[in-house]
Amino acid sequence: MVEEEEHFRAPLTDTFRKKSPFAQLLEHMGKVKECIGILKEGLVKYYNGDYQGFTELSKKVSEIEHEADIIKGNIRNHLPSSIFMPVDKGRFLWALREQDSILDHAENLVEMLDMRHTKIPKELQPLFIEHCKLVMETVEAMELAVENIRDLVETGFSKHEREQTKQYIHKVHNWEYIADQKRYEATRGIYKLEKKLDPMDVYHLLKIIDWVDDIADHAENVADWLRSMIAK
Amino acid sequence: MIEDPNTLLIIGGASAVAFYMSWSIGANDVSNAMGTAVGAKAITYKQAVLIAGVLVFLGAVLVGPHVSETIKCGIVKTDSIPPNIVILGFISSLLAAAIWSTLATWKEMPISTTHAIIGALMGFGIIVGGVSCVNWPKIGSVAASWILSPIFGCILAFIVFKIIVKLIFAKKDPVKSAKIVGPAIIGVTALLITASFLLKTPFSKNANISDFQGLVISIIVSIIVGCIGFILLRKIQTKEEGSYFTVESMFTKLQVGTSCYVAFSIGANDVANAIGPVAAIIPIAETGELNLTSAIPTWLLLLGGIGIAFGAFTWGKRVMKTIGNRITSLTNTRGFSVDFAAATTVLVASKMGLPVSTSHTVVGAVIGVGLARGLDAVDLSVIKKIIVSWLLTLPIAAGTSIGIFLLLRTIFV
Repeated sequence: MVEEEEHFRAPLTDTFRKKSPFAQLLEHMGKVKECIGILKEGLVKYYNGDYQGFTELSKKVSEIEHEADIIKGNIRNHLPSSIFMPVDKGRFLWALREQDSILDHAENLVEMLDMRHTKIPKELQPLFIEHCKLVMETVEAMELAVENIRDLVETGFSKHEREQTKQYIHKVHNWEYIADQKRYEATRGIYKLEKKLDPMDVYHLLKIIDWVDDIADHAENVADWLRSMIAK
Repeated sequence: MIEDPNTLLIIGGASAVAFYMSWSIGANDVSNAMGTAVGAKAITYKQAVLIAGVLVFLGAVLVGPHVSETIKCGIVKTDSIPPNIVILGFISSLLAAAIWSTLATWKEMPISTTHAIIGALMGFGIIVGGVSCVNWPKIGSVAASWILSPIFGCILAFIVFKIIVKLIFAKKDPVKSAKIVGPAIIGVTALLITASFLLKTPFSKNANISDFQGLVISIIVSIIVGCIGFILLRKIQTKEEGSYFTVESMFTKLQVGTSCYVAFSIGANDVANAIGPVAAIIPIAETGELNLTSAIPTWLLLLGGIGIAFGAFTWGKRVMKTIGNRITSLTNTRGFSVDFAAATTVLVASKMGLPVSTSHTVVGAVIGVGLARGLDAVDLSVIKKIIVSWLLTLPIAAGTSIGIFLLLRTIFV
């Protein structure tokens, strides 16, 4: 009987999708948020030479990445070709893809870190930790920008809300720029110590700083796609 | 009154079929009207059904007659057909349309009862008098209104939603603006409703109200309604979920108003589908001649109105439940825009004597809000399906009508 009622009528209402693509994008971002939250803490611990519980952390990140993949697949598979959205569908999917890249890179990072526990030299520790925090700031700024989509849609893309989103995007760029500067500083620091360090350590340190920085790059890409999404 | 028992039988039978038809209209179209308000939890199912029933009845009785003329005599050229065949044909058309509507409702197909009845009459005309017997220009003009009504609904919904965005959401204090804009829009709604049954209706003729007086009364009523709305919304404070959320919750209340508006205009527009053919039958049965100028008797309008209201009471709740659940992603400001645009289009069309379909107009209105960047996503493939079912309705209703007509002819003639 319940079945029957569900199938009764009103196909018109099917045009409003049960789950809006924006809600799903935000759901996906929830996973990014969760992942970045635990990554921040774990990374600082790792940099300080405390490797305890890092394997569990990498497993957790892997899990989150997988869950996010399912959400991403859901959005892609259930976004019909004839959908009519307030933003360009292609740009929307690009933003989603970049958002997913953040998780891919986070997963890659923790896996690689867990494979070889590289000791960060005392002189570099503060630089590394600061860089990590700046990268996380970039991602968090991006989260705010994406979350503003809800208000944008609610207000039918009013000028006021568009300006606000642009402000958030601007902040993402800003954080990314500062993170880049910190990365160069850290890289310079690694080269300074190259004589003292084991070559494999140098290689891995350079890689670590690259991997972490990739996360900020992709957060910036999300912001860029968001910007083009809300362009008139 | 009517002396001949045979005549009484014919009229009685036709009225019974008309009642069935109006019941099926009430069962699904009315739920369309109140579904959004129920989905937004502005009112309960019981309240919705009750309000809808009353308003549909009022719409049918007070504003209905205009459209009946078109269906009554416009579709088939009846002059060359013997009167008793016309009676049979109209009854079978009515029955075919009603059966098809009920079946389609059950099978989850979105059809228009207006299409069904016109298709059925067409089928009857073709089988009896050949293709030339159908008044094609008339069908052409009706079909044009089917294309124009979604476009009109689309434009109106676009404008209404843009107004809401510009005057409320774009403002620094959306809640404050909504307290002024909301009652103003409700005032306009009241103006349109009162004007529609005070201007050029039998009611205004009987009460001796001139157009100017009607307009003045309408404006006064709309101002009163606007003030009531203002008083009701005045005390609302910004909730902690944010100002946009508060605006939406304010529109929950306003949406009850527009839902009533939709119910009213459905009554005005759709009652003709059920009673139009009967109105044509009665003079034939009484005098043996087709009288095109005869007025639609009030009891027939009452019958149609009661039928639609009864449909809303019995099945309406069930259909409404489904709509209410499915429509959750349509927020109140959007629902408001869609309802307002659809109802205005339908009401204006029925004042002009054009039978339009509510569902056409609603589809147009949804796209309109989408174009105004107001919806997260509209699935156009569903709209394609709806259009296909519209296109199918005419031939299927025509076919069924032909079948029933042939059957009835072998039995009675």
